[in-house]
Amino acid sequence: MRDYRRIALDRIARLMEFAKRHAVERPELAREAGKLVLRIARKARVRIPIRYKRFICRKCGTPFYIPGSFTVRVRDRRSTHVVIRCKTCGYIKRIPAIREKRAKSKTK
Amino acid sequence: MKTLTPRNILRHELLGLRVKARPSKGDRVHVGEVVGETRNMLRILRDDGRIISLPKEAYFFEFQLPSNEKVLVDGKMLVGRPEERLKKRVRRW
Repeated sequence: MRDYRRIALDRIARLMEFAKRHAVERPELAREAGKLVLRIARKARVRIPIRYKRFICRKCGTPFYIPGSFTVRVRDRRSTHVVIRCKTCGYIKRIPAIREKRAKSKTK
Repeated sequence: MKTLTPRNILRHELLGLRVKARPSKGDRVHVGEVVGETRNMLRILRDDGRIISLPKEAYFFEFQLPSNEKVLVDGKMLVGRPEERLKKRVRRW
């Protein structure tokens, strides 16, 4: 009964693979796959593995493999962070980058 | 990450699998890759480039698993939205 969670994780991995493959030529298919990832994670109550979480919009499911689907900026105002903005739904995701900045100044 | 077996294909993801679809009555076989799924339909990208929607109930599907095994499935067993199929629905085979 509990192995539906394992199946869910495998399905998410498979779907992201599918999205990556079809993102360029058929973005609608990739978008549907992204939406399915959210639905499955919700249904199975599993956390999306972080390596996929960063590549999919949390709100609308658009995978970032689709060219031109998001903009990336690096901002230094409040703190050093990366801003990713989904062009489909306007959702903004921020990833803090202070550790990376510190590591960089150390290596200098 | 390899959990796809002929046993649990009913609960697994079909998107991206190679498939051959044969109608229960008739002889028009479609060969391609699964690219979409709804409650009653499967969308297949045929090898000739066309995307085609087939009702699950009316077809037998032969899926090729990543382990290169082939599984013949009655479409009627696949009816259901993809996220619903995840929960349960295994019984006879």
